[in-house]
Amino acid sequence: MKKFLLFLLVLVMSVSIFAKTQVVFWHYWDGENGRKLDSLVKDFNSVHPDIEVKAVFIPGSDLMTKIQTSVLSGQTPDMAISDIISVPLVIDTGKVIDLMPFVKRDKYDLSDFYESTLVYGKVGGKLFTIPVSSSNLALFWNKDLFKKAGLDPERPPRTWDELVQYGKTIKEKTGKFGYELYLDGGEGTTWQWQIFLWQAGGEFLDPNKGYRTATFNSKAAVKALQFWVDLTNTYKISPIASWGLFSRGEAAMVMDGSWMTQFFPAQVDFELGSAIFPYPSDGKPATNMGGEQIFIFDTSKEREEACWQFIQWFTSTKVQVDWDKATGFIPVKQSVAKDPSYNAYIKNTNRLLLPFIEAQQYAHARPPIKEYSQVSDIVARAIISAVYKRGTPQEVLNDAAKQVNALLGKE
Amino acid sequence: MLERVGGPKARHFFQKEKISLGVFLIPAIVIVLVFSLFPAFYSFFLSFFSWNGFSPTKEFVGLKNYRTALNDPELKNSIIVTLIYSLLVTFISIFLGMMIALALNEDLKGKKLLRLFYFIPVVTPSVASGITWKYLFDPYNGVINSLLKYLNITGPQWLNSTSWALFSVSIVGIWKRIGFCMVIYLAAIQDIPNSYLEAAQVDGATGWHMLRYIKFPLLMPSTFFLIITGLIDAFQVFDLVYTMTNGGPIGATDVLGFLLYRHAFKYFNLGYASIVSLTIFIVLFILSAIQWRYTQGGAKNVG
Repeated sequence: MKKFLLFLLVLVMSVSIFAKTQVVFWHYWDGENGRKLDSLVKDFNSVHPDIEVKAVFIPGSDLMTKIQTSVLSGQTPDMAISDIISVPLVIDTGKVIDLMPFVKRDKYDLSDFYESTLVYGKVGGKLFTIPVSSSNLALFWNKDLFKKAGLDPERPPRTWDELVQYGKTIKEKTGKFGYELYLDGGEGTTWQWQIFLWQAGGEFLDPNKGYRTATFNSKAAVKALQFWVDLTNTYKISPIASWGLFSRGEAAMVMDGSWMTQFFPAQVDFELGSAIFPYPSDGKPATNMGGEQIFIFDTSKEREEACWQFIQWFTSTKVQVDWDKATGFIPVKQSVAKDPSYNAYIKNTNRLLLPFIEAQQYAHARPPIKEYSQVSDIVARAIISAVYKRGTPQEVLNDAAKQVNALLGKE
Repeated sequence: MLERVGGPKARHFFQKEKISLGVFLIPAIVIVLVFSLFPAFYSFFLSFFSWNGFSPTKEFVGLKNYRTALNDPELKNSIIVTLIYSLLVTFISIFLGMMIALALNEDLKGKKLLRLFYFIPVVTPSVASGITWKYLFDPYNGVINSLLKYLNITGPQWLNSTSWALFSVSIVGIWKRIGFCMVIYLAAIQDIPNSYLEAAQVDGATGWHMLRYIKFPLLMPSTFFLIITGLIDAFQVFDLVYTMTNGGPIGATDVLGFLLYRHAFKYFNLGYASIVSLTIFIVLFILSAIQWRYTQGGAKNVG
């Protein structure tokens, strides 16, 4: 009898456990970011006794192929994140749900998000993804090399002309390179160059034509690419070499991501500065944005609701402040960037991050199209061709535009 | 065929037990069907579609992907790059492997250690080799250019130069294959009956004569085997390129394997990626057919 009661108890308990809505959440945050996510998920689960979120780590390089196969086999997780660049492919599955009804029902405040972060999820009047983390690019400089060259180590260049001047001085006085460009090709090259393009007043693809026409061969684009050619070939202050000279003290300045404010200090043996990236005197500041967005797969009403509860909680200003403090991600919401406790924390712990937070208001989004990776590779190839003097900037960009228009016109 | 396996007794056994023989083959057949043949045919099927693997609908486009392929400068470039790489790696590694095998066949002090030394690259994972060589090739801090500087030579840009990059990757490919060629040749050389060489010596043949008229001809089957397997191997190169150059600069090392990877797993152009894989398949099929024919269906023992 006793045994039977015990069995009954176990049965009742297990039923009550199963009464919880269990949802599976795929992500690729590892290291410190992964640990923080796990602890946040635990917090969420403890205040939501009826929901159990299970965070499952998938390596970043596998996530998209995993999503691909899960969609094909009909065994998707309940929610997942992806890199912003992959969002158009995720939406293309037709298996992620429109969040607009939830947003309207709960009066979820979208206007608090930086506009450029919402570009990816919005399709027509629908909203498929919500930003959860961001990163962007700015200037890092080597204060020791600045000192050696007789420059004020606390004053970074603010314009392209100053960047060139500083670079020349550094080359003359120290023999090191002034500014390191990313010339290893692929998206690494393209997304850095896009910043120069936007600063010069250009656009990458035409936003008025659904991003299906190349505009990266405009006058502004030629100006931006000519600047790269001048840096490497005319002033010779940027080396044509594999990436990584800055961290070895071989180049005095570099454009790199907000995440490097955590890695550089451990890697380098010189004093670092960071600043908004210099822009042309007749141009405007700009930066490029990376990051992740979260989305819900089409499962059941109950589970979708549970996922939405989690997203609402995760993207609340309070949790996002906590998240950004621990991870070093750049805020996706203005209320986080303005939050006094967040700012005080960053000032005390990671001053290098401040220019990145400030730059977020100038962040542009890369075009939210499915073919972006291929377009990016075509443009990177053109950029490097120009730097290698295989053609003038106008020629190589026109050629790339022709290829991209043919690719995007297919549909 | 069966006679060769185990004589009359075995033949009797197999004739009686044909059913169990079939049962033994099932696992292998299933594995080949599910993991090799089906994907291969499915990939061929996909080459007539435009599909990214995410969208629920595959759009039938007929021969459009094929037409694109015919006018694609990147595919053309990749075929040329892969051919150059394959020829460089296959023939140079065979030449060096043979030289080393001939040298290490003599009574040399520490030849066992040397054999080990030459074989290590063969068993080193490509990814690790690629990354290590990338550091060695670094034009500013790399070991190679530092050594050259010591000799007052300004080293090239190696992986960052459009004219040197493919050659640099080939060096690593060769370095990884020499040991394999050496082992095959060592075995073959030891198979050459001593009496041939002694007879030649009696007739007054010089070392060169013995090499030219006895060793080379008798090593031909091994050489042939190494050419075919070398080309097949080199044609599928991916990891070295992926870790060292990412196909760059400006497509200088953009081998077919890398082009395939880009279209399948980066751009998610599954239809077009199928055509790239078909291109690789055709070349490998021809090479295998030559080998199959030469070795009479694999029955003849090469080497």
